[in-house]
Amino acid sequence: MEAIWLYQFRLIVIGDSTVGKSCLIRRFTEGRFAQISDPTVGVDFFSRLVEIEPGKRIKLQIWDTAGQERFRSITRAYYRNSVGGLLLFDITNRRSFQNVHEWLEETKVHVQPYQIVFVLVGHKCDLDTQRQVTRHEAEKLAAAYGMKYIETSARDAINVEKAFTDLTRDIYELVKRGEISIQEGWEGVKSGFVPNVVHSSEEVVKSDRRCLC
Amino acid sequence: MSEKDNGENLEEEATYEDENEQKPEERSHVESSKEKEQEAVPMTRKRPEPKPPSQSAATEKSTADTPKVSDSPAAQTGWGYWGSWGKSLLSTASATVATVGQGISNVIEKAETTLGIPSPSEISSETKDATRGGENSDDNSADEVADGSSFPIAGALGVLSTISTAVQSTGKSVISGGLDALEFIGKKTMDVIAEGDPGFKKTKGLMNRNSTLSQVLREAKEKEEQQTATEVTMATEKKAHYGLLFDEFQGLSHLEALEMLSRESESKVKLVLSALSGEELDTLKEEMEQLKEAFSLAEFFEEEEEEKKGDEEFTKEVTELFSELHISTKPDKLITVRTSAHEWIAQFNSSLPKEEKESEDNQEVEAGDGDHDAKKSVEDIHAFAIRSLAELTAYSIEMFHKTAALFLHGQKEEVTATDRAKSLSQLTIVLCKELSTFSKEFTTCLTVAGVKEKADVLNPLITGVFLEASNSASYIQDAFQLLLPVLQISLVEARTELSQQ
Repeated sequence: MEAIWLYQFRLIVIGDSTVGKSCLIRRFTEGRFAQISDPTVGVDFFSRLVEIEPGKRIKLQIWDTAGQERFRSITRAYYRNSVGGLLLFDITNRRSFQNVHEWLEETKVHVQPYQIVFVLVGHKCDLDTQRQVTRHEAEKLAAAYGMKYIETSARDAINVEKAFTDLTRDIYELVKRGEISIQEGWEGVKSGFVPNVVHSSEEVVKSDRRCLC
Repeated sequence: MSEKDNGENLEEEATYEDENEQKPEERSHVESSKEKEQEAVPMTRKRPEPKPPSQSAATEKSTADTPKVSDSPAAQTGWGYWGSWGKSLLSTASATVATVGQGISNVIEKAETTLGIPSPSEISSETKDATRGGENSDDNSADEVADGSSFPIAGALGVLSTISTAVQSTGKSVISGGLDALEFIGKKTMDVIAEGDPGFKKTKGLMNRNSTLSQVLREAKEKEEQQTATEVTMATEKKAHYGLLFDEFQGLSHLEALEMLSRESESKVKLVLSALSGEELDTLKEEMEQLKEAFSLAEFFEEEEEEKKGDEEFTKEVTELFSELHISTKPDKLITVRTSAHEWIAQFNSSLPKEEKESEDNQEVEAGDGDHDAKKSVEDIHAFAIRSLAELTAYSIEMFHKTAALFLHGQKEEVTATDRAKSLSQLTIVLCKELSTFSKEFTTCLTVAGVKEKADVLNPLITGVFLEASNSASYIQDAFQLLLPVLQISLVEARTELSQQ
């Protein structure tokens, strides 16, 4: 059931214009590849449940941001309330890879005082023949910033699930270890509603939200 | 529906009141639903109990600041069973169409607690008394509506112990007001509210409130979420929760995003105004006033009845109005969901035998009817109706959000802020009327399909559709108001550019 989830994570998807952010998200949330898509205006919103362990579901709220510079002032506002992010570049577009630094700098400024767990995503990996960025250099860059690297294709549905679920798992581990905690006034992580039957010891923290049972 | 018509309807109701269950014909469904709501009191969908302490300070403050029709502080302590919607919306003193719609649930909830758990006969006799009471004094429906809508204030001031008859008769007025508003969403209700709040037209909107619409909706959604999570674990039980569905269609997120843009623009406008003085300031203020005028939804008051429009009209109208905005996005999602909902209704209607809709109480036809739409239960229809309303509203708000983003960051266009405001205002009216049409069509479907259902099964479903349609319309109107600062800032920017040339 939709309403039952352990946590809600807000993820932001960023990267240059036309690297395929919206297509990746729609493949993940709608299970299909949208051939034509207009440039995103400002931000768009998607959500999906992910089961990270049997019976343990996380609701992902995904913020799809416009890559276009003119919307930057809008999209910036969304960093702060995200716990995780997918930073996309297009493996067939070297420029979008070079801009990864800028994106990271940009987020660093605007995410304060919180932090975002990022994964670097090399998108459009189905177009291997047109590749302009090698896997090796992308991995190196990711490692330098302490990120994981994954290559995906929305068209061929390669690694799309994995990109989102791996990130979700990593965040979940951090939440479990207390390195990321739910905070008043921060939307990055929220606890969900869990029915009594599924209630287990580690969810006791959320009991105040179920007081009306 | 004009006021005169309304008066007639109320009289018709008097004729039908004892036999409406045998009269499934189209025209009586609206009227009969009004009083069925009251009969159906015990079966009203229960909303989660509110948490009185969760009433935020800000909300309380806003309630105190802006006493409106819906401002019923006593209710919070006196009435045990407030719906999450009712409660939340009331607590923000939302002076929108919702107020009257809320009246329905309030009265139902109130009657529920006032009566305790009465026997069915008790309820029905009281309802009849109440209905009769209402009719006697009822030649002037406008007055009736006004009284009804303002009565909750009196209720709040200590009529909690009022005998149920009084509650019921109040209920009738409120409900007829609510339905009337749905006949012509906005118009009547605004009249009514404006009566008690002359500044209403100027102050309407969220900007003056301490708690935003999205907060209210989020609160309501979370309660529904909580309710579903605690009550049931079966996926089949996830039915028609408007709040959950609205969120599922990302309505809440788009609303928040729109609020954010609106707030930012608002503070920019203030900044600009504070930097200006003298003639420059006066001119700008005047222009802003004109812009604001376009946001008053004055057409609601001017246009009375309009001919029912064909199916393609909506698409055409929305597309045209939208193109007048000169922005690089289209309301495709909105049109798609609206079209598919209409197709659903058309399909449902065509699956019914022809004569059935015309005949009044033909047993044989009813039997045939049962065979025919066995595939669509009243619950199915209700669920689809609520889903469609939530989806339509969510996409409308998404459209407003995108519009705002493009006004602020799109290409410069040869169109003035005031012209855009006028198109948007027209668009808002079209959308609200569409919601009204939908609620009527869906409830007609319900009445037809539920001809053999007991009133206490059917009535809460009908009430629910009307209520959520009325709420939907007020969310859209509130979202529309959020665009005012956005257009104000684009007006300011256009001026600045002009003076720099």
